[in-house]
Amino acid sequence: MTELVTAKGVTKRFGSVTAVDNVSFSIEKGKIVGLFGPNGAGKTTLLKAVLGLTECEGELSVLGYDPFRQRKELMQNICFIADVAVLPRWIRVHQLLDFVEAVHPNFSRSRADELLSRTKIMKQSKVRELSKGMVTQLHLSIITAIDAKLLILDEPTLGLDIIFRKDFYANLLADYFDEERTILITTHQVEEIENILTDIMFINEGRLLLDAPMETLSEHYLELMTSGDNAAAARGMQPLFEREVFGKSVMTFEDADRGRLEGLGDLRVPSVADLFVAKVKGATS
Amino acid sequence: MIRNQLALAKREFWEHRSIWVTPAAIGIVTILMTATSLGVGSEFKQAVDLALVGASNVGDAERRAFLTAALSGVTLIFTITMWILTIFYCLDSLYAERKDKSILFWRSLPVTDTETVVSKLLVAAVAIPVVTFGAIVVTHLFNLVVTSIWISAEGGSPGHLLWDGGALFDNWVATLIFLLAVPLWLSPFIGWFLFVSAFTKRSPLLVAFLPIIVLPMVERIVFGSTLLADAIFVRTGKMPLFGGVDIEAIFDNERVELTSDMVSLLAVIDVGQFLTSPSLWAGLIVCGLFTTAAVYVRRYRDES
Repeated sequence: MTELVTAKGVTKRFGSVTAVDNVSFSIEKGKIVGLFGPNGAGKTTLLKAVLGLTECEGELSVLGYDPFRQRKELMQNICFIADVAVLPRWIRVHQLLDFVEAVHPNFSRSRADELLSRTKIMKQSKVRELSKGMVTQLHLSIITAIDAKLLILDEPTLGLDIIFRKDFYANLLADYFDEERTILITTHQVEEIENILTDIMFINEGRLLLDAPMETLSEHYLELMTSGDNAAAARGMQPLFEREVFGKSVMTFEDADRGRLEGLGDLRVPSVADLFVAKVKGATS
Repeated sequence: MIRNQLALAKREFWEHRSIWVTPAAIGIVTILMTATSLGVGSEFKQAVDLALVGASNVGDAERRAFLTAALSGVTLIFTITMWILTIFYCLDSLYAERKDKSILFWRSLPVTDTETVVSKLLVAAVAIPVVTFGAIVVTHLFNLVVTSIWISAEGGSPGHLLWDGGALFDNWVATLIFLLAVPLWLSPFIGWFLFVSAFTKRSPLLVAFLPIIVLPMVERIVFGSTLLADAIFVRTGKMPLFGGVDIEAIFDNERVELTSDMVSLLAVIDVGQFLTSPSLWAGLIVCGLFTTAAVYVRRYRDES
């Protein structure tokens, strides 16, 4: 089985509000998938459904398990770091390691010790005595020492400075990721991770707007910078979204005629952040 | 399962240090009080002095009764403390992890919600009594050593007066049974406190006790009946195991009356009657329902 996650028509409602609306997707082994969406788009709810933390309608299979009903089995092969899933502040580092070692069959204590030895974290320290960056390092070290097939990261670097953020992703790639492991990640700092992603998904108002491999973006999406009559001609080709930059029009196109666009201005593949804005704003305008 | 339960129990001892700090503190204070009282020649010292003189001149049964009463006095202090500790532990056990937002971390590990809630129930019903029992035994031993030194200094024979192996064994075994019976008897309250701890968003102490106080009053006013009051206050006012003994009469006077009935606590307590009592099993069912509800709330509530 190469598909670790399959979702068909996944829907989650809170009263009259539909947080996730008929979402279908699949994630294959060895991928690093970025899930992006504005605040309240439904991405955290979707992740919680994948983690078995909330029940949902539709079909959802994670590593072959029903995540809500087989959560214990699932948690042996899946890890997650969420900004809201803070480590308990009262616990000492060695106690935390002892606990995870006792309850997690796939946790390697020696690996965790080795990873922590590269940091300034002391085993006797309480979590409350560590900086936010060190707490994230500690959490990542524990997660990395678990032989899990799927890692889910929900805003893992929120509140960290740029040094820690860079280190976090560098360590993630160096220590955790290989072709047998899969990462599903959400963050608002799109620019910082787009170069490590293999696939992206955009979600807005509970609906999936985009689900595509990174290498196919250049085949489907183009960004044109133009002005004057060329801009008017380009508008006729129905761009997804248009914005103004230094007096020029920047338009994002989906599956447009590249040959025609090349004669109308400077053409390039949009960044993930720009494509995200184009898809979200284009969908709502 | 057992491996997880042991790890979860350890976690409770790390998180709720009061489980062992409180009995240890009570033990130290009790020992210091004994030592101080004996050392400064207070009324207590005179009372003990008289009791010793009396004990030296009476038979083994009375001497044992004196020893049992003295040891049970210490046990009573620990028992009251244990129950207060259990209330606060239960109310905090499922509330603290939501308050400090660590619940999602705990739920990211391969441990079920049932295992987690059951571990807290076991700590309240078994671990806290066992730790309290350990503290009682250590306190008894220290008190006996301190008192022995004092008696020796007074020219008495501590070995004859205090170190009665049979009485000590009898008292400790009965104490252990009693300490384990208390949470069983009061299990509906343990279940209720765990449930409150799992669902309340603030002030668990208030949320837990308000219905216990208000609902019987409402029932009395609206229906004129006292079913809830009977269920709650009769249970809390009754000491388990000592069904055939009038505890109040023993402690009614200013001085504890030493009677030959108190020679053996094991002979007084009725474990069989306790374990076959419908009230006990009704209470356990209520505890089970509340505990199940606590698991359900932890499982289904969205904490983000």
